[in-house]
Amino acid sequence: MALSDIVSRRTRLDRQFDQLRRLEEAGKLKPASGSRVVRKFLNNRLAVIGLVVFTLILLASIFAPLLTPWDPTKINLRAINQSPSWEHWFGTDKTGRDVFARVLYGGRISILVGLGSALISALIGVIIGCYAGYVGGWLDAIVMRISEAIMAFPEIILVLVLVTILGQSLFNIMAIFIVGGWCGIYRLVRAQMLSLREEEYVQSLRSFGLNRALISFKHMLPNALGPVMVNITLSTAAFILQEAGLSFLGLGVPLSMPTWGNILNVAQDLTVLRNSWYLWLPVGIFISLFVLSVNFIGDGLRDATDPTAQG
Amino acid sequence: MLTYIIRRVLIIVPMAIGISFLIYLALDLSPGDAVTRMLNPVQTVDPERIEELRRALGLDAPLLVRYWIWFSGVLQGNFGRTLTGGVPISRILMERLPATLELSTIALVLSSIFGAILGTISALRRGTTTDNVLTVAGMIGVSIPEFFFGLVAIVIFALNLQWLPVGGRLLPSYDSYWDHIPNLIMPSLVLSIMMTAGVMRYARAAMLDALSREFIKTARSKGLPEWRVNLLHGFRVALTPVVVLIGFRLPILIGGSVIVEQVFQWPGLGNLFVLSVRNKDLPTVMTIALLSVVLVLVVSLVIDILTAIIDPRVRLGGD
Repeated sequence: MALSDIVSRRTRLDRQFDQLRRLEEAGKLKPASGSRVVRKFLNNRLAVIGLVVFTLILLASIFAPLLTPWDPTKINLRAINQSPSWEHWFGTDKTGRDVFARVLYGGRISILVGLGSALISALIGVIIGCYAGYVGGWLDAIVMRISEAIMAFPEIILVLVLVTILGQSLFNIMAIFIVGGWCGIYRLVRAQMLSLREEEYVQSLRSFGLNRALISFKHMLPNALGPVMVNITLSTAAFILQEAGLSFLGLGVPLSMPTWGNILNVAQDLTVLRNSWYLWLPVGIFISLFVLSVNFIGDGLRDATDPTAQG
Repeated sequence: MLTYIIRRVLIIVPMAIGISFLIYLALDLSPGDAVTRMLNPVQTVDPERIEELRRALGLDAPLLVRYWIWFSGVLQGNFGRTLTGGVPISRILMERLPATLELSTIALVLSSIFGAILGTISALRRGTTTDNVLTVAGMIGVSIPEFFFGLVAIVIFALNLQWLPVGGRLLPSYDSYWDHIPNLIMPSLVLSIMMTAGVMRYARAAMLDALSREFIKTARSKGLPEWRVNLLHGFRVALTPVVVLIGFRLPILIGGSVIVEQVFQWPGLGNLFVLSVRNKDLPTVMTIALLSVVLVLVVSLVIDILTAIIDPRVRLGGD
C-alpha cells in the first residue's frame, strides 16, 4: 500500500465534504444554526439510531399499561407455558404470566436501576470532584484514597460482597451500584478541574474575590460537562448489564419484581433453554438492543463534545 | 528506575493493608465468631467454657490485635474455615484455582491476539467500510450481556448441533486431562469475546495515535515499504498501551469469569464466589475479595514497572 493510496482513499466523510463544497460553490449553503454539539451529534448516524431505539424502548416501558392488557405479576394457572400467540406475544411462563408484559414492565425497573444509579453517582461524583479538585488539600487526599480503594476491587466482586452484607432489595442494589460508581466520575471531574484551575479566567475570577464554591460550580463545571455526560451514558449501559448479570445469578433485585435480568433467570434451566426460546431470547435481545443504543449515544456524545477523541 | 519502583510499592502496600483492614472489620462485625462456629448448635455448652475458649484463641483481645492475628494468618495462607462445612478456605481455593487459571489464561491470550490484530486493521483502514463494520461489531460485543451470549452458544452448539458439552469441566467419565478440551471451548470463547472488543478499541486508538507521529513520516520519507512502516514502527509503539490494557482487563476478567463460570457450571473460583454469596458464607466471600484486590494491585504494579522499562518518559515524567 503506497502513500498515494492512503491519500486518495475516499471515505464517507470525504464524500460529505465534497458535497458541502459543491453546495458552497453553488451558494446554497446556509449559515449553521443551533448548538454545534447538537449538530455534530445529529450528523452521526449510529448515534441517531441509538437515540431512536433508546427512546422507543423507554417510552414502551413507561406506557406499558397502554401497550399490553396483561398484569406482569398476576399468576394465571389456566394459561401456563403457552407459546407466542396473538394474545400473548412472547408467550407465558410457568405460572401463566404474560412475558411481553413482563418485558415492558421489567424495563421500567431495569432502566430505573441503570439510569437512576448512573445519574445519582454522577451527581455525587461531580459535587465531590468539583469541589475537592478545585480546593485540593486534605479533603481531596482523603477522597482520592477512598476512591482508589473502591476502584481496586473488580466491580462484580465489590457488588457481590456488598450484596452479601446488605442483602437483596431494589434500594440496596441501587445503593451498591452508586457506591461503586461515583469514583469514575469523581476522578474525571477532578482531573478536569485540576487542568482548568490554572486557566486565566479562573485566576481572574479568583482575583475578583469570588468564593471557591461559586468559581468551581458556576464557572468551571460547565467546561467539564461534556465528558461527564459521556460517562453517564456509558455507566448507564454498564449498570444495566450488571443488574441483568446479578439478577441472572439470582442475587440482584428480588425475583418477585420483574426486571430484565429476573426474566432471564429462568434460562438457567436447560429444558427452558431448549424448549421455550420465547421465555429468554426476546428479553436478551431487548437488553442487548437497549445497551447497544445507550453505547451508541455515548459514543456520539463523545465525538460531539470532544473533538480530540474522534478517531 | 529503582526510586520509581519504590515509590509505586509505597503507594500500593499501604492500600492493600488498608483494604485488608476494612475486610477484617466486615468479618469482625458480622454476627458469630470462630467459637460459635465451632460449637454444636444442639448441645448446650457452659458459657464459662466458651469464654475460656475465646480467651485461648485471642478473641477477647483489642480489635487491632485481633486484626494482627488474622492478618499474619492470611500472610501464611491461613484464611480460616468456610461457614458451610467448615473446610479450610485455602484448601477449596487451591482446588478451584486451576480451573479459573485455565479459563482466564486462554481468554487473555485469545483476546490479546484478536483484539490487537482487529484494532490494527481497523486503524490502517480508518474511515472505510471495514473500519466501520469492525467498530460497530465491537460495540455489539460489549453490549450483549456475556451470560446471554453464553446461553445462545449453549443452545446452538450444545443443544441443537450437539457438537460441544453443555458445561462442566473434568467429568467422571473422562480418562485423561485432554478429554475436557471440548468443555473448555465455549466458556473461554465467550469470555474472550467481550474483552476482545475492549482491546480492539484500545489498539485502534493507540495505532492511530502512533501513525500520526513524526517518526512515521520519517520512516516513510526514508522510502521504507508501507508494511514495514506500519508493523515495525507503528505497531510496535501501539503495542505498549495494549500491554497496559492487560492490567485493565484483569478486573473485567475476574468479573466476567464469575458469570461465565456460572453459565457453564465451570468449577472455578467465580463459581465458588457466587455459591458463597448465596450461602452468605462471609469468610469465603471476603477471602476471595481480598485475594482479587491483591491480585489487581500486584498486576498493576508489575504493569507500571513494565511500562516504565519500555517507555522512559513514564519513569522520568514525575507521577
